[in-house]
Amino acid sequence: MAAKPIIQGQEFPVITPTSIKDIDEIPVSIDQERVHVLPGSTKTAASFQFDGEDHTLGNALRYIIMKNPDVEFCGYSIPHPSEAKMNIRIQSYDDADVFDILEKGLQDLMDMCDVVTEKFTIAREEFHSNKMQS
Amino acid sequence: MSGYAPQTSQTADASAIDIHSRAVAYTCGDCDSDVQLKRGEPIRCRNCGHRVLYKKRTNRMVQFEAR
Amino acid sequence: MPAPSDDVLIERKKLKVGVETVSNQQSTDFPGHWPGESHEWDLNHFKNNMRIEFNHEHANKLDLTFSLIGIDTSLANALRRILISEVPTLAIEDVFIYQNTSIIQDEVLAHRLGLVPLRGNRDALRWLRWYQKDEEVPDHEPKSDENCVRLSLNIECRWKEGGLEKTKQGVTDPDELYENHNVYARDFSFEPWERQTEKFGDDGVRSSHPDILVAKMRPGQHIELLMHAFKGIGQDHAKFSPVATATYRLLPTIDILKPIVGADAKKFARCFPKGVIRLDKVTSEDASAHEECAGKEGDAKAVVDNPSLDTVSRECLRHPEFVDKVKLGRMRDHFIFRIESTGQWDSDELFLESIRLLKVKAARIKRGLRRIDALVQ
Repeated sequence: MAAKPIIQGQEFPVITPTSIKDIDEIPVSIDQERVHVLPGSTKTAASFQFDGEDHTLGNALRYIIMKNPDVEFCGYSIPHPSEAKMNIRIQSYDDADVFDILEKGLQDLMDMCDVVTEKFTIAREEFHSNKMQS
Repeated sequence: MSGYAPQTSQTADASAIDIHSRAVAYTCGDCDSDVQLKRGEPIRCRNCGHRVLYKKRTNRMVQFEAR
Repeated sequence: MPAPSDDVLIERKKLKVGVETVSNQQSTDFPGHWPGESHEWDLNHFKNNMRIEFNHEHANKLDLTFSLIGIDTSLANALRRILISEVPTLAIEDVFIYQNTSIIQDEVLAHRLGLVPLRGNRDALRWLRWYQKDEEVPDHEPKSDENCVRLSLNIECRWKEGGLEKTKQGVTDPDELYENHNVYARDFSFEPWERQTEKFGDDGVRSSHPDILVAKMRPGQHIELLMHAFKGIGQDHAKFSPVATATYRLLPTIDILKPIVGADAKKFARCFPKGVIRLDKVTSEDASAHEECAGKEGDAKAVVDNPSLDTVSRECLRHPEFVDKVKLGRMRDHFIFRIESTGQWDSDELFLESIRLLKVKAARIKRGLRRIDALVQ
């Protein structure tokens, strides 16, 4: 059995708690502990580190943040394959706050998910009703 | 194989058989019958005389991870 | 600057497939890429352009094909990754072997049992909670009816009536000689405890594929064991993955630039799988419009019928007669998604769950973000 990745000195499987427990059951403190701002960050250029995240969130978030016109640069990386950590770098134009940009990116991603859910449900209903008729 | 007639007196000294010890279950390597042996008894199947016996697996539980 | 026409926008979305190369691979729908165009994230724009079309669903609801159109690869890929590794399922984790005299070793048998896909009442499966195996974790919950499903397997191989006589007659077919010589997943029995009896109902928890062969035995061999199944995710072990495969491919495009007629048309059609290219008749308009068609009215003419069936083998690019007449490509934002479930959940439920989990991921990061974190000002 593979060793469980160690996050913040305490063991817990990479992303498991989210998918199995209801989000309300997971203490907010766990999420606060796994989101970091890396040293050297400023208001307009910051690197964030998310423990227990991978390409799944990394690439989707990178895409949606790059869609923001206030963003000069956005990129993500997984510094080491055996550490469950994901870094995301955001640099903004003018005086735009990177925290605002990150928050907007996360919100946009959530909105996007709602649209996909809605469209999928409609498409499924249509498909099934067409099937019944034919 | 010709019929096997169990001998009343074994080659080994009969007094060496410890009648108070616990019998251990074996399976005959040839005829598959159950053989209960006590300490000191000759290693031989009572049914067919075959001299290869297999010890049975215990019923003790062993835990495994399905990985 | 004028807004680009629809044709231009479609061209931009086409990933071009050459003989040995692919080009135009990267998405360019970002602000600042095209002068004078916005490309800013706009939910309404996304809503209006995004489409989902169902293509095929198997009668058992486990195999589903649909098209996700107007979405970026990063999102489609995130959903695919979540389907494979983050949607929780129930699978056997602990095996307690009391007796195993079959020739399959205990650890191998345990591993095989783990990989058997299970199914049961969906609401009851949803009700099940995650069991944290590590007992050193502070909020460790003990095994209970809420997180642990118990199954048992107790089977012994015996001679069939008259089996021994049959061997002497030279019969070797094990089906005629022995009883229980094949151990199948259907031989598992569900051992509900406490609330599980009511929650899981009469069907209980069983394998979604009862014909899975777990072990083979011969007379006198015996397997007796107990199994504990927990909820887990594919990231931890593949047995927890709810899908056999979750894949997508981009919709292939075939552009015939100049008419391909006559014998060439038939040859062209043979370069593709059946159904991709259709042979029509050259019409009088074609004959007057294209020099290639002049005087060939009524001959066969290659027309693209259903490009989604194409495998993009690039066979047509090998033949000199089609050079400059055809362009192959793929639509960068048209994903033909296929989900094959292992049977615990229906494929459509799985996809909705994957979207929900992506949203939860974003929500969790959002609530974990604290501005007070040390910022070098």
